[in-house]
Amino acid sequence: MDSSNDDALDIIVSNVVATFRTRCHLNLRTIALEGTNVIYKPEVGKVLMKLRKPKITASIWSSGKIICTGATSEDEAKQGARRLARCLQKLGFKVRFSAFKVVNVLAVCSMPFAIHLIDFTKNNRPIASYEPELHPAATYRIKNLKATIQVFSTGSITVTGPNVQNVATAVEQVYPLLFECQKPLCE
Amino acid sequence: MSHAALRCPACGSSNVEDDALYSQAQMVCVDCGSVVSEGVLANDPVGGTDVSYRQTTAVTKKPCHNLLKGLQRVKAMCRILGVNSEIEELSQTYYNQAYQHQSFIKVSLQKKEVLAGCCVLVSCRVRNWPISMGTISCLLDADPTLLGAVYLEMVKILQIEAPIVGITDVMEAHCQEYKLSPSHVPEEFAEDPRDLSKHAVALVELAADTWIVTGRRPVPIMMAAIYLAWQSLNPSKQRLKFTLDKFCQLAKVKKQVRALKRITEIKEVLCKLGKEIPWLETTVTPENVMMQVKDILEFKYALLRKALRTHEDALLPECQTSCDNSQTEDNTDAACSEQCEQSTEKAEQTSDEDGNSRAESEQQDSGQECQDTEPNWGKRVLFAPPCVVHAKRRRVEQSRMKDVTGDEEISDSEIDSYIRTPQETRDFALTQKILSEREKS
Repeated sequence: MDSSNDDALDIIVSNVVATFRTRCHLNLRTIALEGTNVIYKPEVGKVLMKLRKPKITASIWSSGKIICTGATSEDEAKQGARRLARCLQKLGFKVRFSAFKVVNVLAVCSMPFAIHLIDFTKNNRPIASYEPELHPAATYRIKNLKATIQVFSTGSITVTGPNVQNVATAVEQVYPLLFECQKPLCE
Repeated sequence: MSHAALRCPACGSSNVEDDALYSQAQMVCVDCGSVVSEGVLANDPVGGTDVSYRQTTAVTKKPCHNLLKGLQRVKAMCRILGVNSEIEELSQTYYNQAYQHQSFIKVSLQKKEVLAGCCVLVSCRVRNWPISMGTISCLLDADPTLLGAVYLEMVKILQIEAPIVGITDVMEAHCQEYKLSPSHVPEEFAEDPRDLSKHAVALVELAADTWIVTGRRPVPIMMAAIYLAWQSLNPSKQRLKFTLDKFCQLAKVKKQVRALKRITEIKEVLCKLGKEIPWLETTVTPENVMMQVKDILEFKYALLRKALRTHEDALLPECQTSCDNSQTEDNTDAACSEQCEQSTEKAEQTSDEDGNSRAESEQQDSGQECQDTEPNWGKRVLFAPPCVVHAKRRRVEQSRMKDVTGDEEISDSEIDSYIRTPQETRDFALTQKILSEREKS
């Protein structure tokens, strides 16, 4: 998705987290025994299952709630979730794929210019916060989009939001603010 | 005597009279005969008083003991740091407010002590007194992460907008911790504190200009700057041989591990600038650069400009030769022409001959066809942070996944690859049993 400027900005979605329910109780010991690529964590009460084809890690709880992380797009997350549900079905559980929801999307983007963080924080006072001794990036939270943007002085930004559309809108919203606080590349 | 205000709870009549049965005072309803109240409580209001017992017996509420202790701690910290009375009062006000807020009233005493430190920190910042979080965490002997968390929460609750402290402001205060004056150390290692701090501040400014300070913890950088300033103010063989370890022992400060890396980085920058010194015959290496540091710092800006110009001049012919053999691309066009324009602008500003600028504007036209690694501006400029110079290459898998819709058919054979065969399951269970038995024995 491009910004509204002349240069195209590459927004690279690096992680999508989604949850869904299987509507039935799952026996974690059975899954741990009969599934490949699984890690059983009895102290926490969950099983981690890793799929190869969409590269996804799923946390499976015995209540039937499953969280999938590691996908690079919303559709891929759905495909991985369905594959996982199918896998559990084959293991013998009466699985019904329901309540699929993308919970969090993490994207990174690189500006072609460096950013002067102190000016950026001053211009956007309550919305942006910057503590150089604690974290090297300034945090900018957009309330209505529920998106959080971390701005680094090298020009890279990371955006987290509830879905890909919000993330893209957030980048478009923040781009003009970043552009006016840019630092000349050297010095 | 009848009490007109009293009502009998049983029949509701107001005809209630005092009576004394067996010398026990009683209040009896005349109409139905039920006893309304009796004994010592005969004259008490029925149903209890309007004012509850607790309220009538309460004494004036004393302020919490820990709050008072905390305020004393705040005062003590202000005295140690030597701040003025305005900051002391402000920090006490903040502490009072924050302590009584629901997110801090029930936390552990350790956290309350950290909160006291944060109040002092925020008051100093609001009144433009330069102080770093490192100082406060040393003072409290607290975990810096905990300090950071409490600080952020407190600022959110009290809604304070504290200005950001720059490293150069904190530098002078930090320098005072280093005991290097003639009274503390032998003559050949002593240094006037003002000279030292001035020199160190200049080094830190240079580091800030060349991307060494951004995103890094301030204390190791300050330590590195002071160490190099101390060495360069009197670059004798003895001083140059001193390692960071020994220096910290001499100055009686705690050594920061990351300072070593910062020292290497600052020395690299000094070497790059040292190369541009016009009157130097010998080549500049990290070993002999310390002699030149005084000159480098004096002519800092001129040397920086010169170094940047040399770097750009070196890049432009490379750009031209590579573009002769390559194709044009739309995005890199804009990026490259932008870069060439910038460099020609800079060259035009700093160069004296017109012929030079004409030649470079020619190169600009041919430079438009140059191929560039677009966002990686780290390769194009002389000074850049390490994360940009060694940028991670992104996984280019996007085109492959474009046709995924999420609702496709998943074949059985694919799913079977995720499930163990019964034989494998039995083997796995057996192996687990053997391993666990072996562990037990």
